[in-house]
Amino acid sequence: MLKLIGSRLLQMLLIMGVISFILFAIFDSDKFKKQIAVNELGGFAVSALSEQDYQAWLEKKGLNVPFYQRYLNWVAGVAQGDFGKSFEKNEPVADLLATRLVHTGLLALWVFALMIPLSLLFGVVAGMKEGSPQDRLTSFISVLTTSLPEIATAIILTVIFALGLRWLPPNAAMVNGWDWRALVLPVLTLVLYDFGYVARMTRASMAEVMNSQYIRTAILKGLPYRRVILRHALRNALIAPFTIIVLQMNWLLSGVVVVEVFFQYAGFGKLLLDAALFGDIYVIQAATLVAVFVAVASQIISDVGYTFLNPRIRFA
Amino acid sequence: MARKLPPGFEHPVVANAFDHLEAGRLSKREFIRLAALLGASAASAYALVGLPAPALAEGALPFPPDDPKAKAGGVLKVAMQVQKLEDPATFSWVQMSNQARHTLEYVAITGPDNVTRPMLAESWSASPDLKTWTFNIRKGVMWHTGEELTADDIAWNIKRWADPATASSNVGLSVVAGLLEDTGKKDDKGKPIMGLSNGAIEVVDKYTLRLHMNRPVLSAPEDLYNYPTAIVHRSFKAPLSDNMIGTGPFTLGEFRVGDKCVLKRVTKTRDGKDFNYWGGKVYLDEIAYYNFDSDNQLSAFASGDVHTLYDFTVEQLDLAKSLPGIIHAARTAQNICCRMQVDHAPFTDKRVRQAIVMSVDNEKVKNLVYGEDGDVGENHHVAPVHPDYGPLPPLKRDVEGAKKLLKDAGFEKGLEVTIDVGNTDGPWHQTACEAMRDQMKEAGINLKVNVMPAAKYWEIWDKTPFGCTAWTHRPLGTMVMSLGYRTGVPWNESHYANPAFDKALDEAEATLDVAARKVKLAVAEKILQDDAVMVMPIFRPVYTIVAKNVNGYQGHPTEYHQFNKIWLT
Repeated sequence: MLKLIGSRLLQMLLIMGVISFILFAIFDSDKFKKQIAVNELGGFAVSALSEQDYQAWLEKKGLNVPFYQRYLNWVAGVAQGDFGKSFEKNEPVADLLATRLVHTGLLALWVFALMIPLSLLFGVVAGMKEGSPQDRLTSFISVLTTSLPEIATAIILTVIFALGLRWLPPNAAMVNGWDWRALVLPVLTLVLYDFGYVARMTRASMAEVMNSQYIRTAILKGLPYRRVILRHALRNALIAPFTIIVLQMNWLLSGVVVVEVFFQYAGFGKLLLDAALFGDIYVIQAATLVAVFVAVASQIISDVGYTFLNPRIRFA
Repeated sequence: MARKLPPGFEHPVVANAFDHLEAGRLSKREFIRLAALLGASAASAYALVGLPAPALAEGALPFPPDDPKAKAGGVLKVAMQVQKLEDPATFSWVQMSNQARHTLEYVAITGPDNVTRPMLAESWSASPDLKTWTFNIRKGVMWHTGEELTADDIAWNIKRWADPATASSNVGLSVVAGLLEDTGKKDDKGKPIMGLSNGAIEVVDKYTLRLHMNRPVLSAPEDLYNYPTAIVHRSFKAPLSDNMIGTGPFTLGEFRVGDKCVLKRVTKTRDGKDFNYWGGKVYLDEIAYYNFDSDNQLSAFASGDVHTLYDFTVEQLDLAKSLPGIIHAARTAQNICCRMQVDHAPFTDKRVRQAIVMSVDNEKVKNLVYGEDGDVGENHHVAPVHPDYGPLPPLKRDVEGAKKLLKDAGFEKGLEVTIDVGNTDGPWHQTACEAMRDQMKEAGINLKVNVMPAAKYWEIWDKTPFGCTAWTHRPLGTMVMSLGYRTGVPWNESHYANPAFDKALDEAEATLDVAARKVKLAVAEKILQDDAVMVMPIFRPVYTIVAKNVNGYQGHPTEYHQFNKIWLT
């Protein structure tokens, strides 16, 4: 097990190194440097600058050194917790990222806290009896919520609960301080979208287990139905959903972009979009490292969890 | 014939304008605006024509009067994009200037009534030929450092704008361009380097500054309220957000790009003395700008998070009407300029450009997007709201004519063009372009509308061969033509170069007689219109909404925030 975790972490470091190197190389082009200059100084100012003045600006921003040198400096900085300074926001990336990750973490926490029990419950109940009314209802709701893009769900919820009934604030910018009510619509949007997917996977897994020989034998033996479900079916049926749920962490990190931008929630997704539009290389780099970390970490959790849920699975 | 006018109206252009006023060739409002520009007090000008003057604060300060019921205190919360504060001379967004406007002030201030009044200057006068302008700097204006503002400070700022290393768009303004001459040198891109003429800026004494221009300039005070002309302290070094020293009543408190910009009242100077603001009472404790993208500002207002917002789009008007607040709509010259680069194929062929322009019905596009509101554009960038607008015959759509021109240009099988659209003022840009696309189809023109994020568009606005650029309101038609279409000027995004146009514009700018100036500007308008450089279908109104507990708010056509006398209940 330790070997598995060690190899995954090594893999993660390798991926981080390769991706950050590629990003640095891409963002080293004249085009991207000019993009930063345009965003900072304005289009006219850049077109009016002489080559000499432009070079002076590059020097001031530390963009005139060869990219491999900048890359090595950056790697050395990252090793000490210094992710550089944001061009757009003019502040250390580490501080910026920490605040935003906490915000997105809170959002994710609520999403998982609601989505996991809901989707498992609906999925298991639906899968217990294929073709039953509860199965059809769950399938209908799941397909409906999953097929609606997040942006459409966000608009519908805002129109109904914020602009119509005025029960909740229409945005989550929280300019007057932290307000839990402001989190309701973003959380609900993400839960609705994700719920359908996990519920359907759980339903499929449960249905498969319910059709297996050992469950039929258990039922024919006269074991109580409740016991068959709780003791025999559930554990096996949850293996596939478990992996999917853990991998949702990865999805959530990119899925929050639309929701955070729509609701103006100052989280990781909004930071990533702002940085991409601005060409804010150090923020993009740091955000990429976080994304790789989350992807690999979720994979490790999934692998480890698998071995506990299914003792037959062993990793060499 | 000029008649005897009261003191303050001595300038021959004012006397001439008064004759036109009496003959019914000039409106009262245009006369007031012009008289104020040329040194007369706006209040006297209002009185002279018999219109009620907007009340001003005590001591003829350029702000609304103090409300006896006004209560001090409170934080005015505004939804707007919170942007970087680098160098005010290179500001490229009005929002940036709003963040700095209550700290860095201007030589002049144009009010919501479109009349320009002295601000850091207490008065000015122009020579009869409009080539020499004398600004009397207001005494007792204190920097946040405790020093007094002098004519040297203003001179230092103007020199800084003129310096090519600053890369300020202010060099396109007549007031700065008139001070420049060709140095005979060329930059590394082959463009002639312009420098200040010898003796162009004269500091007469501590409180008197004189500008000697090489051509008549009527718009000098108005130019000095263009948003990148904010006056900075002589210790200024970019970024502004690191050390914001001004003469205004607020300074930067909290600031995070893309998050918030909180301005706090200045009570002490940097050296610990009491700060005395020259502009009288200011009621707010703080002005807090919160970052909201343009699409989300109205939702922030709806939730009660903010008292007002930068602006909202026409698509949001119905929603705004359903909210408890006061909607302000201002008639403006803000527009979309769907301009073609005349040095980029296929737009190098004038017949192609003319075919594109002829295939569009500007009025229908305007009505589709703004309904009854706004003005129809005439493809020359001067708006009916401009005081120097010279009316031309209405444009007529001519599909057959467009087809014939395309055939003559070798595009008998049709023409494919792409327009880049950044929706920088909202999705109505796209709506307008899509309406144009549908109209062009009838003439055999296949227009592809390439929509991109606003930030991306501002990277390419002056590079794309065919782009839909939003231009903000400017008080004069000559001003916008000088900034955008004179040969070789920095903001000439269409790369238009026509000596006949430049000459007509020069003549309009040099014409002191107001009515004759309109006629001369109409010549320049016609040249630009005939050369088919742009489709400009709409001059849009700007909308904003203000909570009912905000008192003293006045909407401004350029969306410049002037919050000195606002108070909250």
